[in-house]
Amino acid sequence: MLKYFHLTKRQWQGILKWSLYGLLTLLVVLLQTSVLAKRPILGTKLAPLPALIVCVCVREGPEKGGIYAILAALFWCFSGADFGNLSVAVIPIGAILSAVLCRAVLTLRFLPTALCCLAVTLLNASVIFLFKLILPPTVALENYWRILLPGVGLSMVFVPLHYGLVKLIGRIGVQDAL
Amino acid sequence: MKKHLSAKTKWLIVIAVLLAGLITVTAAVGATHPGENAVQVMLTPFRSAASAIVRQVERFYDYISRYESLQAENEALRKQIIAMEEDVRSADSLQRENERLHQLLGLSEEHEDYHRVSAYIISWVDSSWKSAFTIGKGTNSGIEVGHVAITEYGQVVGLVTEVGPNWATITTVLDSALGISATVASTGYNGVVEGALATGSEGLLRMNYLPTDSVLRNNDQVLTTGSTVYPRGLIIGYITDAGFDQTGVAKYALLKPAADLDDLEQVFIITDYENQ
Repeated sequence: MLKYFHLTKRQWQGILKWSLYGLLTLLVVLLQTSVLAKRPILGTKLAPLPALIVCVCVREGPEKGGIYAILAALFWCFSGADFGNLSVAVIPIGAILSAVLCRAVLTLRFLPTALCCLAVTLLNASVIFLFKLILPPTVALENYWRILLPGVGLSMVFVPLHYGLVKLIGRIGVQDAL
Repeated sequence: MKKHLSAKTKWLIVIAVLLAGLITVTAAVGATHPGENAVQVMLTPFRSAASAIVRQVERFYDYISRYESLQAENEALRKQIIAMEEDVRSADSLQRENERLHQLLGLSEEHEDYHRVSAYIISWVDSSWKSAFTIGKGTNSGIEVGHVAITEYGQVVGLVTEVGPNWATITTVLDSALGISATVASTGYNGVVEGALATGSEGLLRMNYLPTDSVLRNNDQVLTTGSTVYPRGLIIGYITDAGFDQTGVAKYALLKPAADLDDLEQVFIITDYENQ
């Protein structure tokens, strides 16, 4: 089969890895929009997608991960996200900077990745909230700690799962490269 | 950290900002972005499948968790049916008399012909600041922007605000972006109903611009007054509270939406109607 498509084993593993990342992204988008968005918890809707984007970007590095982050954020925006245009800029920039920070200063372990997930999810939600404060119909400022902060906190429940799955998928091709 | 940012990484950041700007400009023009249409068309079958699975799981869960209460309810309803059957027998004779009198007077029943398209909800907007959902039907089924979504009982759900070939986004009455011309059924006071999502009263509607001398009672029904968008007589909600607005020159009322948006699975889109 590899010969049929003129692919090397390494290229084939790359395609498999990124296809699995794509599938995981699709599943998280479906979870977020078809399951979690229907039933708000404590008056807030959970958003596990930004954390997944950060996990992949940190694992794959700022360049390949950055391209993935832009495509995933675009996909989320076009799937009907509220103020998705802001997320197209905020999430990839946050994810790229997280990847650079983790590789240069921190490590690729769980805790630094989880902290980056929290920071990017909070930044994205806060930027959207800022625009909601300015543009009509405006929201009340008290909603920031009453709805936004619990929502961001609860969304972090998914980070261990994201981290584990991304680590598992990220291993594809690593053994052969060594 | 700056030295760790390669030229390629910097370019990616620039591209992300440019893309965000481009999408903002497209959104400002008011058109549905071609990318959004493509993603929504591609996502619709996946969302339909996911929401169908969720519906089945929820029904099974409800069946298990509510079995005992349903049994008790069933017993109470049986008794109620027996009592009602007695009422129906006496009502039948009154009905026949009423029909005869109607024919005698030549009255015609007031009725509006709604052309409806039924559709299942396949996803909800994942923002806490917006109340909208996507259905699995679109222009291929005759749905257009501005059509009204209702429940099977004629309760207003929302308005179609975006549409594609096999999908449509419906902004619900809870969203602060919608404004519906409405009237209190029992007294005839007119006002504008808006979602109270942004004001901190989640799950409620707010009827504004009511006269200061208006007398409002709890559970008074609020209906659409009829316009080019909303047919007349659709149920919007029931009054739960009232007060004076900040200016003090008008009253407002808080309403509980008639449509149960939390348990909504299916909606009906009015694609055409005759206002008589």
